[in-house]
Amino acid sequence: MIDWRRLGRGLVLPILFLALWELLRAAGVLPYETLSQPSLIARATLSALADGTLLYATWQTLEAATLGWAIAGAVAVLAGVLLGLFPPLARMTSLSVEALRPIPSVALIPLSLLVFGFGLRMEVAVVVFAVFWPVLIVTSSGVRGIEPNLLEVGRALKLSVARRIWKLVLPAALPSIAVGLRLGAGIAIVVAVTVEIATNPWGLGYGMINASQSLRADLMFAQLLWIGVVGWGLNVALLRIERRWLAWFWSAREAAR
Amino acid sequence: MENGRPLLSVRGLSHSFRTAEGSRPVLANTQFDIRPQEFVCVVGPSGCGKTTLLRLIAGLIEPSSGEILFKGRRLEEPQPEIAVIFQDYSRALLPWRTVAGNVALALEARNVPRNEHAARVDALLRQLGLAGHANHFPAQLSGGLQQRVQIARCLALDPELLLMDEPFGSLDAMTRQTLQDEVSRLLSVNKSTVLFVTHDLEEAIYLGDRVIALEANPGRIVEIIEIKLPRPRNQLTTREDQRFLEYRHRVFELIERGQK
Amino acid sequence: MNARRLWWSASSVLFALALIGLWQALADARIVSPAYFPSPARTFAVLSDQMQTGTLWSALGETCWRMLAGWFTASLLGVGLGAVIGLSPTARDFFEPTLEFMRPLPASAILPAAVLLLGLTSQMIIAVIAFGAIWPVLLNTIHGFRAVEPRLVEVARMLHLSRVERSVKIALPSALPDILAGVRVSLAISLILAVVAEMLSSQPGLGHNILVAARAFRSADLYAGVIVLGVLGYLTNAALERAETYWLRWRPAPSGE
Repeated sequence: MIDWRRLGRGLVLPILFLALWELLRAAGVLPYETLSQPSLIARATLSALADGTLLYATWQTLEAATLGWAIAGAVAVLAGVLLGLFPPLARMTSLSVEALRPIPSVALIPLSLLVFGFGLRMEVAVVVFAVFWPVLIVTSSGVRGIEPNLLEVGRALKLSVARRIWKLVLPAALPSIAVGLRLGAGIAIVVAVTVEIATNPWGLGYGMINASQSLRADLMFAQLLWIGVVGWGLNVALLRIERRWLAWFWSAREAAR
Repeated sequence: MENGRPLLSVRGLSHSFRTAEGSRPVLANTQFDIRPQEFVCVVGPSGCGKTTLLRLIAGLIEPSSGEILFKGRRLEEPQPEIAVIFQDYSRALLPWRTVAGNVALALEARNVPRNEHAARVDALLRQLGLAGHANHFPAQLSGGLQQRVQIARCLALDPELLLMDEPFGSLDAMTRQTLQDEVSRLLSVNKSTVLFVTHDLEEAIYLGDRVIALEANPGRIVEIIEIKLPRPRNQLTTREDQRFLEYRHRVFELIERGQK
Repeated sequence: MNARRLWWSASSVLFALALIGLWQALADARIVSPAYFPSPARTFAVLSDQMQTGTLWSALGETCWRMLAGWFTASLLGVGLGAVIGLSPTARDFFEPTLEFMRPLPASAILPAAVLLLGLTSQMIIAVIAFGAIWPVLLNTIHGFRAVEPRLVEVARMLHLSRVERSVKIALPSALPDILAGVRVSLAISLILAVVAEMLSSQPGLGHNILVAARAFRSADLYAGVIVLGVLGYLTNAALERAETYWLRWRPAPSGE
């Protein structure tokens, strides 16, 4: 059931804004060539889509983000499980983690540039750093929150540590891990675009900064709009996946019970 | 001053809620008076509209039909002379303020000068047995203590009419009994007028000067019973009094009948 | 109990020192070229040198000033606007859809637009940071103000609190946890934007310094700068956390933790 009144109200501001922008530009009130207008931006969007440049840049950004997310996610989940299961280990590493975690990922951009030069690898490296910490923390706290009885069962059944982790710990911590990975995916995209804007001639971020430095305002706004669309779409898709996966997971557990 | 005029009059009060299926009548043609310094209890099964009745008198909702007269004037919104004590005390207290702060809120609302706050809050806290908890936050208190804070806050308003919505419903039996006696004594000392809603018919008879028994679907007054038991009431002797047992019997039958 | 805690703190310090020792050993062994991988000794030497000559403090001052000025502006505006919008269901209908659309946009995406429209002078950077950092505060504030406990609203009606009193004494404290969470995210974003803006604009500051160091292959300066940024990130976050713990000390301890 669509609430037309609320939908209408929600659209008022964007439509008003776009209309005003278009009018003021057309009337010459906003003289700067740097501002462009909605109609031109729409045109630039369509042409960039048509000639494949937008999609190629999207692919580049997503490639870096996904690789970084996957690597960081795998290592962080494993480390998080270990830290969650063995509190002594967590306590011992706590100072080091707390010292390294606050380093803003952007501070590593020049370092990554130094080591890897421009391109995919330097971006992946920064994304890995950025995604690692939140996933580590969410996973370890998720594992720590597991029912102690469950772990007792594992010990009673004399399962090896590896089997205990695989059969008992991971399934129980799965909801937390899923949330952590979803958050990590969001971070991966944002960091990837940021690295591209800062220095890396790669992907959507570079497209934006390049367009702005070439005074192609229409192209720049087109890419900004596109990033918003991609980000939103990705978020929706990830939520769907997480929900469906967790639903399957819970029903499988119920069936097993 | 006027002993003849009722403090509160409810005339032909009905109320329905709008639901997806249409309109659900909750209260039908209710009529009664509350005299000054009376302790009136409203009791009935779930769904009898007793909480709705209280909220209507509190001015939190507008009745579908009928009217409420408070001191002769039509009541259309919350009145400053009427204070409400809610059942869910943890949600009715400001969690970020201390006990003293919560009670002070009432004084701030009444624009009592700042320099008088400390003394008045102090006195109220002592009256409700909260003296040692002035600087605690609600989350640190037990349910019984939290409810006392709410009562203290309401008493700080010097209300003419106190509306209490199942105030002891969420508490354990021992705390409930303690509070019943304490509050009863406190309110009679302050000469307050009270409308007390409860689902516990023994509590209603124990506390009340009059008991309004409601039946459900829709809520309707079955009978209003005068409770002629001596005051002050006592948890042991009053509850064993022959008349208490007769009242109890009567109200039980009325409610059972009303449950259809 | 206290002895135990001391022991664990000591072990975590020892572990961190061991890591630094490992760093030193690896650097000495020259497994990686010192052009990419300076030893801790060299890094700290550069760091102390920068501290003494004052170059560290001036760069830190620049970055810090822009970050804090931008963050403070963003927080003030964000809370103010958020309160007004959050308290009014009509305003929410108008603004929320647009604001939600802005949510997935990376904050750094504002930089290409800023480069184009405003140019990145030192004053402009502050404005850009403010614009980029306002969103978490704004969105969180709106959410906090709309989610006030309904029972408390009834209490406010019963007490006959004026609209202003209701907003200040009930809604604002109720929204404070959300607001503070938003303010914390906003601070992190401010730091990121300050650093990237310096990289793009060559304005003096920590971000600019590390980029220059990378380009000149001065790895010790680079690592030193990264450490300083990490410390900056840590201190600002810790300060906020402290404030948050104090202001929110009334909160009940979470159950089961």
